[in-house]
Amino acid sequence: MKRHHAVVRITHWVNVIALTIMVGSGLRIFNAYPAFARRGETFCCYPFEHRAIPANLTFGGWLAGARNWHFAMMWVLGINGLVYLAFIYLHGEWRDLVPRRGIVRDAWEMVKFYLTVRKDHPRQGKHNALQRLAYFAMPIVGIMAVVTGIAIWKPVQLAWLTNLMGGYVWARYWHFWAMLLLVILTVGHIFMVFTVDPYSIPSIITGKYRPELSPEARNARPLVHLLPPRHEPPAGA
Amino acid sequence: MSRQPEHNAPSTRPPSHAAERLGLDRRRFLAAASGALGTLALAACDSMGPRSAKRILMLAESGNETIERVLFHHSAMDVPRASAKAAGSHFPAYFVSDTVPIWDESLNGVWRLEVGGLVRQPLTLSLSDLAGLPRTGYKLDHFCVEGWTAVATRTGVRLADLAKLAGVQPGARYVDFQSFDSDYHESWDIESAMHPQTLIVYAQDGHYLNAAWGAPARVYSPVKLGYKNTKYLTRIMFLPERNGGYWSDRGYEWYGGV
Repeated sequence: MKRHHAVVRITHWVNVIALTIMVGSGLRIFNAYPAFARRGETFCCYPFEHRAIPANLTFGGWLAGARNWHFAMMWVLGINGLVYLAFIYLHGEWRDLVPRRGIVRDAWEMVKFYLTVRKDHPRQGKHNALQRLAYFAMPIVGIMAVVTGIAIWKPVQLAWLTNLMGGYVWARYWHFWAMLLLVILTVGHIFMVFTVDPYSIPSIITGKYRPELSPEARNARPLVHLLPPRHEPPAGA
Repeated sequence: MSRQPEHNAPSTRPPSHAAERLGLDRRRFLAAASGALGTLALAACDSMGPRSAKRILMLAESGNETIERVLFHHSAMDVPRASAKAAGSHFPAYFVSDTVPIWDESLNGVWRLEVGGLVRQPLTLSLSDLAGLPRTGYKLDHFCVEGWTAVATRTGVRLADLAKLAGVQPGARYVDFQSFDSDYHESWDIESAMHPQTLIVYAQDGHYLNAAWGAPARVYSPVKLGYKNTKYLTRIMFLPERNGGYWSDRGYEWYGGV
């Protein structure tokens, strides 16, 4: 039994490429005017107005190059996202991702475990409660990124959409936040993969997964119990 | 790589030191992590991306243009937020020449705007001719390709009115706006040019344009990004084919719709 269906594995890696290019080119576009204020106004809610993002975090080389990449890759990101969502809906994987009753309590138990307040790993299904929340949030923030992106692409032809977000300046601000949240979720995800469950890496490439090496089986928190468990139970458990 | 020996023979080895155990995995972790980061760095680093991608990007641009043209409606009008302050003197000046382009009457004679190409009646209009035509003014957003916006009141003549006056022929599908700002020009699709908010502007915020903002006249429409709106106008040509543009020829989208 594969842990992740081929469709999930492929859309995951397409998403890695698309999102990397979208964020990089988006930051390059942002650097053409690294501020939100309308000309002649000030903007309340961004402390780094007129300070550029470091160029080596950007992609596209110059404004036009970055725009061309952004407006091409948006289709890959959008279509890939739709394929993924349609698949998990039709195939049932959404059940592992939507928050269930008690998710907040379960998530709190995970936090307590990671903070070593709690000794034993909470019981879980395919994902723990924090993962469920993160993987559920990811597509929602992704949709937010797409919708705010459309709003700043067509603020006149689709003015109703832009106005829904408080106008062009705010739509641009929400688009920036959507990017930031996606980056935060992604960085957290990568950190947890490498420090808690590196054995899950094959499961997103070939689909193969060894349940006996799951974080729950190893009682693993970040950088703790990274190695497989001995046959005898670890001391203190 | 197999991890079996370690897993199967724990009892034959002394209990390994925790740091050693961690170290082993950390090495692996670092190798994998640096590989992943390397890939990202390769993709980023302010590069323009692989050259071979250029054709795909151009394909995407023409696909986007098709969608943008479908989305385009003359009934979609720009209305700035009620709370938006006019940029006034903060409105950026922009031109491609080394110095502010100023029409030199002693060299070129009195400035006149030509309307030509596929028209029954070519026009040559002085500034007072323009000012004498039916006047339209809007408070409008300006959408710069760089991402900033600015609000100003633009006053001038609807291009649709000028087109009627000149008797544009059915074969005219594009309009080229030419200037005396070096070789700056940008061509548009005729649908955008005939939008009711597409104006030949000679006044901004109630005053005749100053040299920094494109005097004596410029095209302005909120349905196009700033760079499509040629300043320092000399000629408006109705054409059967598109004629590129200063920035469109340098890699920016030709359509540049908003």
